[in-house]
Amino acid sequence: MFRAFHRGFRSFRRNYARNIVVVVLLFVCLTFSMSMLAVKLAADNQVSTIKQQVGNYGQIQISSAYQMKQFEAQRQQSQAERQAAARSMTAAQAQANRVENLVPESLTDQFAKDNYVKTYDKVLETGITMSNLTNTTMTQLFALRQGAGETGGGGGGGRGLGGLTQNSFVFGGNTSGTSASDFTTGAKKLVSGKLFTYADYQNANPVVVIEKNLADQNSLKVGSTVQAQVSGATGVDSTMDLKVIGIYETVQAEQQSQSGGQGLNINPAGNEFYAPVSVVQKLNATPGFLSLGSYYFDSVDNTPALKVTFKKDAVGSGSKYELATDLTDYQAIADPLIKAKNTSLIGLAGALGACAVIILLAMVIIISGRTRELGILKAIGSTDGQVIGQFAVEILCICLVAIILAMGATALIGQSLGNWILPKSQPASQQQAQNQGGPAGGLVRAFTNQQLYNKGGRFNTAAAAKQQQAAKLNVVYRGSLFLYGILILVGLSLLGMAIPLVWIIRLRPARVLSME
Amino acid sequence: MSDEILSVADVSKTFQVKAGDVTAIADATFTAENGAVTTIVGPSGSGKTTLLYVIGSLEKPDTGSITVAGRDILDSSTDLVRYRRENVGFVFQFFNLIPTLTALENVMLSMDIAGVSPSEQNRRATELLAKMGVDGRLLKAHPNKMSGGENQRVAIARALANDPDVILADEPTGNLDTATGKTVVDILSALAHEEGKCVLMVTHDESILDVSDRAFHMSDGKLTELNA
Repeated sequence: MFRAFHRGFRSFRRNYARNIVVVVLLFVCLTFSMSMLAVKLAADNQVSTIKQQVGNYGQIQISSAYQMKQFEAQRQQSQAERQAAARSMTAAQAQANRVENLVPESLTDQFAKDNYVKTYDKVLETGITMSNLTNTTMTQLFALRQGAGETGGGGGGGRGLGGLTQNSFVFGGNTSGTSASDFTTGAKKLVSGKLFTYADYQNANPVVVIEKNLADQNSLKVGSTVQAQVSGATGVDSTMDLKVIGIYETVQAEQQSQSGGQGLNINPAGNEFYAPVSVVQKLNATPGFLSLGSYYFDSVDNTPALKVTFKKDAVGSGSKYELATDLTDYQAIADPLIKAKNTSLIGLAGALGACAVIILLAMVIIISGRTRELGILKAIGSTDGQVIGQFAVEILCICLVAIILAMGATALIGQSLGNWILPKSQPASQQQAQNQGGPAGGLVRAFTNQQLYNKGGRFNTAAAAKQQQAAKLNVVYRGSLFLYGILILVGLSLLGMAIPLVWIIRLRPARVLSME
Repeated sequence: MSDEILSVADVSKTFQVKAGDVTAIADATFTAENGAVTTIVGPSGSGKTTLLYVIGSLEKPDTGSITVAGRDILDSSTDLVRYRRENVGFVFQFFNLIPTLTALENVMLSMDIAGVSPSEQNRRATELLAKMGVDGRLLKAHPNKMSGGENQRVAIARALANDPDVILADEPTGNLDTATGKTVVDILSALAHEEGKCVLMVTHDESILDVSDRAFHMSDGKLTELNA
């Protein structure tokens, strides 16, 4: 074995002129093959990572079509007609109007039972009046509107900010503080106290988390109590005392203030309260209704199945509710990578095919040029196995040198090739905007607030940055590439051996040695 | 005369070509002994080389029997690879040295294939080449850097590397000038007469008959002993 290796290696060195030509040709094709493989592996890896971050989120909410319909209906009425209708409403009609733009909790609970759903959160965002607190931002806004000759508009509950006063604040209700998207995305962080828990939600404990600036302006701290008005209620039950259990800061607002931001001193983040969703439901007088049900699935691949489940769950409700997912975001990020992967697979197959042709042709040329040597080896007593072994080592050496060089070259050009193959893509947000282009698209965006809840609302830019980053293909060296390289090496060597194998076995030394 | 080492009996070989069957060897029968030079002369195409290749097991005869050192090479149980390693050594007209190996490596190669240790290969190859008058810088010379005579001496050293019973020389002087050819013939003669080897030469050069102990003439595949 060692002798065969030694003879093969010696033969490889001694026949360097011919071998070097084969090595160079193989090197070119293998570099392309390995680079394509590196691109494919990188794309696979990144798509897999993206699947864990994007595309596996969904929320049940009022559909954009339904909101458009409502908007159109309201537009047909004058302001006076709308005000008259509001005044003549019975208590039952007012309650129906209040939940018009909310999702029944029973629907979101039912959907949460699907096996693909990994986490479930209930979200209710609404405006709540705080008896003894003034919303400085609202004060400035009202001042601006009065200057422009406008007045505040009406509207129901839900995510809109209709019926606002200077004491209005936005309340975000969740099943636990840690599942509030602003905290999960890092847009806001707790600086004092604690967030409310799932037990707080279950027991409807009247607790709240407030913003640092608001707390400072109103001398509030952890343990303080604030009073909130219950929508539509009168008498002794018209207010609810909420205990401050945590204080947070808004990262972007803090950054702006530190960098000396100019213009209006608007800090919308400072007007947002976080409380258990069951408490917010009480304050909003909409028990059993939510702004949305928020879900994380196990994989983006299960989105179609979940859409089917939702259709079943929401049967009978027409098109009032929808399951909005970030599948579009996933596609916008992953599609270029998947296309790059497919292109690289085609390139890989082509380059490996070229390698196969090169090694086969090269071996035909090499072996036919060394027929006499084969005859001599057989005549002086070499077995077929010894001769084959010698050539096997020689071919292995050729392929080994070529693949080592190719791997080195891949490290140099892999990234460039990846960039070249990766289709030029746009960020998901831009693509969404284009998909809904035109005036109608603008209206839809205005009404439906396309930013999904998991992106943390308008204060969070982290998600967009993540998308931008994910759209780049990072071709890095990984262990699997090395293993694939060894596989290619073995495969090519075996293929290259096919010609010598047949040639050596069929060779008759007497014929060869008689030739001049 | 010494012991009989090679026995060829009723060996025939026919090649099938487009024009029809060509009889290369027709019932060839002869013996050769240790310590003797046996020569087969004849014109080109008479079947001399085919007979030599049949004896060296590079060709298979249609009929007959060949025994070398008591080993019947046509017996299916005979290991022909081992036979070529141990019992015969070839010397060819065109030397047939491996061009990418040095003189020393060409001789060592035969022993390497036979499983001789590298140090022993080196020692014995150097010794054999020295005996053939190839030493010094020539040891590391490649065949294309050596003269025809030097190449043929290296080829003889290679043939002797595994100490075979029979040296089979196919036109050993065919590619050499007269003086060099005579030197090579003298070396082969010395191998037979001084070292007791059985040397079987086929040639069309009848001057070699001078050093032959037995001689045969071959024509159209038929073998006839000269001076019988």
